[in-house]
Amino acid sequence: MTDTESLAAAPLGLRPADEVMQLERLGSLHATRLSFVRSLVRQMARQRWQISRERFDLDANGNGTAIYRLQTPHGRYHGVMFAQPLDDARRSDRVIAEAWDVTFGMVEGDVDDSLLAQMAANVPLQEAGRQHPRVLVLSRANKSLRNFAHFVEALSRGEQPDPAWLTRVGYLYRTTAVYGNGKFGIADFARLLDNPDFRGPFSAQMAGVYLLRHFSIEQVEHLAACRSPSTACPLATELRRYLGIGNSTGLGMAPFLINHPQLIAQWIAQRETALTLALRQVPEEADRVRLIALTRRALTHFEETVTEDAEQSERNAATVAALPDVLTWLSSVPLEPDLWHQLVEWSARALPLEAQELINTLLIELYPDQVDALEDRMEVEENLDLEPDMPLIRLRQLIETHYGWALAHDYASREGSYWFWYRSAEKEEPRLGVRHEEPGAEKEMPLAIGPRVARTHQQVCAFLEAHPRATVVDFLLEHPRHKRSRATHPDAGQGALWRYPRQPLAS
Amino acid sequence: MKVSYNELQGLCRKAFSGIGFEEGDAADAADMVAWMQCHGLHGVEQLNRGLDYLLAEDPEALTRVIYQDGDLAVLDGQGLSVLRSISLATELGFAKARARGLSVVKIRRCHNRQLIMGYLSRLAGRGMNITAFWRNAQVPLTEQVVGFRAGHTTPEVRVYSVRDVPEENEPNDGITLVMANHVELLPSLDPDHDLDLLAHHPESELLACRELALKEGIVVDDAIWARLKTLAHRILVESSDASRGGAGAGVNDND
Repeated sequence: MTDTESLAAAPLGLRPADEVMQLERLGSLHATRLSFVRSLVRQMARQRWQISRERFDLDANGNGTAIYRLQTPHGRYHGVMFAQPLDDARRSDRVIAEAWDVTFGMVEGDVDDSLLAQMAANVPLQEAGRQHPRVLVLSRANKSLRNFAHFVEALSRGEQPDPAWLTRVGYLYRTTAVYGNGKFGIADFARLLDNPDFRGPFSAQMAGVYLLRHFSIEQVEHLAACRSPSTACPLATELRRYLGIGNSTGLGMAPFLINHPQLIAQWIAQRETALTLALRQVPEEADRVRLIALTRRALTHFEETVTEDAEQSERNAATVAALPDVLTWLSSVPLEPDLWHQLVEWSARALPLEAQELINTLLIELYPDQVDALEDRMEVEENLDLEPDMPLIRLRQLIETHYGWALAHDYASREGSYWFWYRSAEKEEPRLGVRHEEPGAEKEMPLAIGPRVARTHQQVCAFLEAHPRATVVDFLLEHPRHKRSRATHPDAGQGALWRYPRQPLAS
Repeated sequence: MKVSYNELQGLCRKAFSGIGFEEGDAADAADMVAWMQCHGLHGVEQLNRGLDYLLAEDPEALTRVIYQDGDLAVLDGQGLSVLRSISLATELGFAKARARGLSVVKIRRCHNRQLIMGYLSRLAGRGMNITAFWRNAQVPLTEQVVGFRAGHTTPEVRVYSVRDVPEENEPNDGITLVMANHVELLPSLDPDHDLDLLAHHPESELLACRELALKEGIVVDDAIWARLKTLAHRILVESSDASRGGAGAGVNDND
């Protein structure tokens, strides 16, 4: 049994869930080498995936159709892009938008004329279209107009764009939704479970976005060439590598986090397992040198990072301020077998949260041989089935052990139940409303776990008074409303431990 | 029109919420319909047939336990669709079989009974052998037997007519569930009886239907889909200028 397998089988030494699942700490996690994009890119490189241009019918304004073939050792896919003119007044990143600069789909298999015609008629409509069941990913994106203009202008003159533009906005396109798993008629995720290319969570979506990134580069180069055929040049490799894809609202994340507790727990558990594996390694001088180099690189990255969010800017500044101390510490402390433990303990005492988690991320980065296998453990068979024969007293204990935060909250006060999520009739966009002020609270989406757990607990206690030997199913037959309350599922203690702010958020 | 499994499940869940189902019931009922449909057992059509009943049902009515002991339970389904809370009756049988090795649960007075297969599939997946049996009140009398092997989420289904039936006046609106923790219960037809096999869906056939549904999509009737959408719309909140500020990016994004 390898280290990874033994740790996964008996994950002793992981940080406690109460610490890791605090929202503030979760919000401080950085992307690691186990993040989905990193895993996908490693897979693409390892298996030498090939992307080739099958069609590129764009006019001088960059509008038209492009098709890219993605060939893997196991299958063939096509990214089909539809770029179209978009009036500035209609360019919105909201779900409620109805037109975009580019819409696209990634298809399993080949794209013949009939499928292309079907996609041309439906993909640009996005949610309003009926999509083909061989489409794995459906998405759309809007341009960063400033970057587009600057890139085209520079390339058409035969010059490279100023990299500083990319540190401010790191993309040419930002997606405003990336749909998978059966949305609007596209393929169900279940179709991919036996597909070695895309059976991991979100890997098909990431591949679709990668194709969009590729298209964005070829589109600006095309525009530059159209503007000035004699002087235009391609984008430099370094800038191509620096270029990303933006993402817009991320609104779907709120319901997703609540509705997939086992999946989220699995992802976090793999990251924590990776950290534990890294901490178990006895560092050599070369590892210390590498960690110093990675810390310097991270410092540069954070110094260059620009964000409009004031609070995140403050946190980034705090990280930048802290990293020189980390470099000093790493350079001055003797190389002892438990150096990494010493580092983590010191950082917990001395550093802001985001810097602590950055160090954890960099430690994981040091040990690809130990941690990369964990990327194959990101899937989980989601199952919130009841355990009907569980003694009700056991359920009560689970709630009291793991949901103390939910039981201690005051839900009766205005501040204690301030927000509610609902779906708007406008394209079913999830929105936040203020209870007691805005209409729709009676149609609240069932995302607030705390009050439901508290209500369930109250009724469980009352039921146990009269039926001390009752089972969960005995209780539910009398109180079926609690059936899907997170607390009535046996994984109550594992999957859903994060805490929810129930008070007004700071503006 | 063609829809995906996830899309069907999602719309059904919203439609059931729109009808007034609690969240857990809505999710379970949606799973039951989508499971039936993707296994070629016409879940959407079954739902459509019972939809008017569902809309007229008292949402506060509960399936009641009339009698139970360690390994036997009799419940009154109150004339409700199995989509509404019947899952708990099956969970009761599951709990008893786990405790006692074998259980029998009789659910009286319920309709839309075909759809219970979708929930039984989940129990079988959790390691339970299950046989479900019910009679349809028609002439000639038909009986349906559904058998799940523990760990298999796809059953074998048989429907047959019975010509030689002793006279009795019991209503044919119930379901009998037999669950066994350790013993396979797969039924087979007795050749000595005068039975006409009307339909036989072996596990392999249903699995092939599921595979095809995932590959090619699921065909549903446009009118039924539109009706479900109308019901699902009930859970939405009308939009206003003020509510547009309640989420996401700005309404116009030109950077």
